[in-house]
Amino acid sequence: MKQPATARQMGLIRCHTCGKLAFDVGHDGYEEHCPRCRAHMHMRATNSLSRTWALLITAAILYVPANVLPIMTVTYFGSGQADTIMTGVITLLQHGSYPVAAVIFIASILVPVLKMVALLILLLSVQLKWALDDRQRTCMYRAVELVGRWSMLDIFVIALLVALVSFGSIAQIISGPGATAFGSVVILTMLAATTFDARLIWDKEVTDD
Amino acid sequence: MYFMSSEDDTLSLKSIPDNWIACKDCDLLLERVDTPLGEKALCPRCDNPLYQPREQTVERTLALTLTGLLLFIPANLLPVMSLSLVGQETSTTIYQGSLVLFNEGLYWTALLVLFASIVIPFCKLLLVLFVSAHLHLERSSALLPYAFRYYHYLDEWGMLEVYMLGVLVAVVKLKGMASIIPGIGLYCFVALLLVTTLMSSLLDEDDFWKRIEQALKRQLR
Ligand SMILES: [Zn+2]
Ligand SMILES: [Zn+2]
Repeated sequence: MKQPATARQMGLIRCHTCGKLAFDVGHDGYEEHCPRCRAHMHMRATNSLSRTWALLITAAILYVPANVLPIMTVTYFGSGQADTIMTGVITLLQHGSYPVAAVIFIASILVPVLKMVALLILLLSVQLKWALDDRQRTCMYRAVELVGRWSMLDIFVIALLVALVSFGSIAQIISGPGATAFGSVVILTMLAATTFDARLIWDKEVTDD
Repeated sequence: MYFMSSEDDTLSLKSIPDNWIACKDCDLLLERVDTPLGEKALCPRCDNPLYQPREQTVERTLALTLTGLLLFIPANLLPVMSLSLVGQETSTTIYQGSLVLFNEGLYWTALLVLFASIVIPFCKLLLVLFVSAHLHLERSSALLPYAFRYYHYLDEWGMLEVYMLGVLVAVVKLKGMASIIPGIGLYCFVALLLVTTLMSSLLDEDDFWKRIEQALKRQLR
């Protein structure tokens, strides 16, 4: 049976932006620019693993203030309450809004954690050459890419609430520093997913470019 | 779908056949086979969607982009919803949320909201308008590859659908506190979301790139 070949084995580079194939004629394994879209061409994303590590570690550090600091403070008829992401979910549960509590819990807590764990597994498995199923790992990577954006949900909710609920002493919602940290976590994990080159999962001979 | 074999003689390869493609996620080299319109071709090794040919992609994309741009102004300038409590009423538009965050000192978060919900979706529409109008009129421009590249880069950073879910969550959170009145801006926003979602799904990136390549070749002649 014939062995399926990759573009790399055939001396070809696939442009990461437009998908065009080009001959790998350049030095250090990359041609300067894509003949079609003019983007920089690389055999594999430059320093993919190191960059993904850096973004992931920063995201993990910021995840602490994102969950400890209040994302907003709700003042209602004189009594103020600072909400973190978790207490926000608990408040919704107490009010009986189970579907919304579930949505917020998935988008703000479950997805960021699972995303960071998945990226960690991907990085470690590529670097330490763990014998995991390549197809499943690629599938996991695509899931990370796909769901990441939905974690921005809480940030948009805060933006709407602070603008709407401004009734002076009667009712007021003010944003908190936790929102900044949380927004950064979402952006950093999205960037980490972008910098990770899924083809590294399938390359058995190399670890980093 | 046909596999290339590593045993094939690569040294004799003088030019890359037009129907060769490589998988984005696993680098597998494949020969492109025409699939029926609208049908997704998947990578046999990693299940990554490779391409999905769309019918009249340029014309449909152009029409939807123009509709989207028309809806963009009312969706952003008219109030999304109003809230009334003990005789007082407040309302918000999409950009006001970002403005309030800015005034409260959360500059970074304010920018994030502004970009994800307004600036990037708007830039995406403008870039696609530029590209699809050129392709439709069979005009060429040296800027075409750049414009479409930036559309590709910005694609995942526009988050209208997440914003929409945010509106629904905000409504549920507020419903016990005060009465909520949906604004005209909200209806325009829902329409904008539908139009842009449809545009993204009908836009055949692969076909666009091929047409851009042809347009540039025509220009050189
Ligand atoms: Zn390219
Ligand atoms: Zn593949």
